[in-house]
Amino acid sequence: MLFRACVLFAALVVIAAPAAAQPAFEHLRLVAPAAPGGGWDQTARAMQQVLQRAGIARTVSVENIPGAAGLIGLARFIGEQGNSDTLMASGLIMLGAIVTQRSAVTLHDVTPIARLTGEYEILAVPVSSPFRTLDDFVRAFRERPESISWGGGSAGGSDQILAGLIADKVGVDPRRVNYIAFSGGGEALSAILGGQVSVGINGLAEFAAQIEAGTVRVLGISSAERLPGLEVPTLREQGVDIEFENWRSVVAPPGLTPVDRRRLEAAVDAMVGSEAWRETLTRFRWIDRYLAGEAFGRFVDAEEARVQDILSRLGTGADDAPTVSSAGHYPLIVLGGLVLCAIGVVVGRVRAGTRNQERETRIPDPGSRIPATWRPIALIGAGLVLDLLLAERAGFVIASAVLFWFVARAFDPRHPLRDAAFGVAVSTSAFLLFGRVLDLPLPAGVLSGWL
Amino acid sequence: MTEILSALASGFAGALSLSNLGWALLGVTLGTAVGVLPGIGPALTVALLLPVTFTLDPISAFIMFGGIYYGAMYGGSTTSILLNTPGETGSIATAIDGYVMARQGRGAAALTTAAVGSFVAGTLATIALTFFAPVLASVALRFGPAEYFALTILAFTTVSALLGTSLTSGLLSLFLGLALGLVGIDPLTGDARFAFGIPQLLDGIDVVILVIGLFAVGETIYQAWHYGREPIEAIELHDFTGMSREEWRRSWKPWLRGTAIGFPLGVLPCGGTVIPTFLSYMTEKRLSDTPERFGHGAIEGVAGPEAANNAAAAGVLVPLLTLGLPSSATAAIMLAAFQQYGLQPGPLLFSSRPDLVWTLIASLYIGNVMLLVLNLPLAGVWARVMLVPRPLLFGGILVLASLGAYTLNRSLLDLVLLYVVGAVGCAMRVYDFPLVPAVLGLVLGPLTEQHFRRAVAINEGDLSIFLTRPISAVLLIAACLVLVAPLVGRALTARQARRKAAALRT
Repeated sequence: MLFRACVLFAALVVIAAPAAAQPAFEHLRLVAPAAPGGGWDQTARAMQQVLQRAGIARTVSVENIPGAAGLIGLARFIGEQGNSDTLMASGLIMLGAIVTQRSAVTLHDVTPIARLTGEYEILAVPVSSPFRTLDDFVRAFRERPESISWGGGSAGGSDQILAGLIADKVGVDPRRVNYIAFSGGGEALSAILGGQVSVGINGLAEFAAQIEAGTVRVLGISSAERLPGLEVPTLREQGVDIEFENWRSVVAPPGLTPVDRRRLEAAVDAMVGSEAWRETLTRFRWIDRYLAGEAFGRFVDAEEARVQDILSRLGTGADDAPTVSSAGHYPLIVLGGLVLCAIGVVVGRVRAGTRNQERETRIPDPGSRIPATWRPIALIGAGLVLDLLLAERAGFVIASAVLFWFVARAFDPRHPLRDAAFGVAVSTSAFLLFGRVLDLPLPAGVLSGWL
Repeated sequence: MTEILSALASGFAGALSLSNLGWALLGVTLGTAVGVLPGIGPALTVALLLPVTFTLDPISAFIMFGGIYYGAMYGGSTTSILLNTPGETGSIATAIDGYVMARQGRGAAALTTAAVGSFVAGTLATIALTFFAPVLASVALRFGPAEYFALTILAFTTVSALLGTSLTSGLLSLFLGLALGLVGIDPLTGDARFAFGIPQLLDGIDVVILVIGLFAVGETIYQAWHYGREPIEAIELHDFTGMSREEWRRSWKPWLRGTAIGFPLGVLPCGGTVIPTFLSYMTEKRLSDTPERFGHGAIEGVAGPEAANNAAAAGVLVPLLTLGLPSSATAAIMLAAFQQYGLQPGPLLFSSRPDLVWTLIASLYIGNVMLLVLNLPLAGVWARVMLVPRPLLFGGILVLASLGAYTLNRSLLDLVLLYVVGAVGCAMRVYDFPLVPAVLGLVLGPLTEQHFRRAVAINEGDLSIFLTRPISAVLLIAACLVLVAPLVGRALTARQARRKAAALRT
């Protein structure tokens, strides 16, 4: 209700944009395989706005399936075999994750639709840094590679890939890059600004405000030519011959008919051609990298080979030289501690038990005043198992009502009808609240026709 | 100073327009509702609202987002206290004593101290944000991996305040949490650990799953097992008016201390809300004359952490507005929202769009007042939830818990995990293991490991970095003191007692 009220309020304040004649899609679903706020989420939400405003689809929803740099979303998306009104954001970082995780699911398992945007990467240092130019930096890096710490985003992502490419180009073994992966753009940027790392690598968008304010010194940008309106030298003009961008794309589920595929391609084509998309690109400082169909498929193959090559030479995903800072020791310490504590507890309790028996005064265990009955436990257990079995098959409403009924009966078996009535009421209202008001659909199952 | 005041005054002039007040009210209402629902955080709410607000003018949109953000922090305490189901990590500490208070019929008092504490902390923190944001932000940048590692070590000492009756049981619970924290991709190398080839485990085990499982599901199973076999403890609601004079007296210092702990830690770009809430809980227990009341319904244990999490939430806005650094999921969305309007939050935002920044800050003050007005009368109403018959109450809690776990990632595996954790939680309760150390282990373990390894890697394998950097050294010494001081104190009192006894004998 609140969201509806909000939409209404917005509609009262603003005059709605005139709708186009006949949308190609009644409803289009966009999957962002990341949490809200990241690049794929922004891509999906930008597409949502443009597709609706340009009248290509009547309604567009965005669904976030976060996790493992997009792999979880990808695995789920492949399961949508033949679903013709859904698209997923993807890109270079997903390729990196596929390679580092040796993922069973890859971008070959989905239907490529188009590459949409690219974002250049920036190599920067805080203004207080001794490195004034890329030359200074490269000289220090060649001299003692490990003394240079490179701060950037997640391991196997675009930032680390560029670090490896630069090392390779200046003649240093990429394995000797001391790359410090931070989780999240804010964390990496604060380490760079605070001078915690020797040099930072991040997207142009993340650095834009800092460049404008003069709080960082840019050593180089990964574009082929200097960008208009940005007084920043390229890596290439300074003798490090690299052109690199973090590209983002959309893909469709596997198993589409040629007709469905063309329909989706046409919709994306219309979106890219619209005025609203131009505005979006400038607003987010994305470069237009539209490349559709077969050509995009070939591009993905080439990129995959490049990423595979550089990541294997960076030595990610394989821990072959354990040092203090590698992952070796910590899990052993934790698991060792766990075992030791477990032994300690068992020994302690056995001793306490024997001492008590000697004294023949047993500490009253709170659970044993009255002989234990397993009935409530069995009922709740049955409710939980049924909930798991039914949740996605029969739908959320039925599963939750069953769960509610079993749990309530575990407490008090005298009111089966009252419990059933409340169970249905609670689960139906929760379903409607999430699905209708909050736009977070739960599985409807067999009741999808009624709800 | 006068400059800031006049800028703030013009900000208030902008925020006090009728439509902006409407947006603020809508924001805080939405935020409170979202905070109450488990599994939906403020980040997702703002993301859902982005397309709706696109056609608005940015000032109105940000006023609403600010309201959602503060409102969610308020709302989070409600389910923690009444249902033992913390919807967000920031309100885990609140559940420890809050839920006991609710069971004792003092739910209204717990909710009131949470609401007033949040108001006090929110307002004080917003004042700090108004006057010291740029200075604080530059100090925060001096925190590197070494300092964060020392901070997590300090946070680990709070376990000592949560151990319960037996040292080994508490440590076992802690190591259980640490072990669960190993699951998933190692963020420094990208290696998967203990994921057993299950893709959903690559991102690790969500803290919300562990918390809802241990607290809500475990509690439900435990209660069902005991229900009918023990005399039912009838819950009598003490009063609907809120706190007694005694409770006010006990609460005001924790509010202020919670603010003092929460705000600076919120300003740190990797601070989060868990560390400040637990540090506040430990501080209150250590400073209390009657530490044995903690865990049995001590109001200080609710007042301190609730103030701390709201102050931390305000602190997060400091790096966002002054440096353009998003340090929480919600801040990341707000950053995306700024970009949607073609604005780039960063060092220049205060000078390039002062109207926007100061109206937003002014609306935070207004939002805080609105939240207090909205939540105080509701405390008594919410507290009546405890009067719902047990079977229906716990049935509802389990449905809500499963809903929260499922909406997190839309994965059935999360539900399976939730129920397994629930069974473990019930067993831990039966065998008298404390639950909170496990949660702390899961939250802090991965952070500690990552910051340690980052710091050592930056320093090329040299461990001395933790003692040569002053902030890190001070924090580590503080951690030692926290652990050693009570032992020394006990030894001293024991010696004094012996001397007295000896003196009496002679």
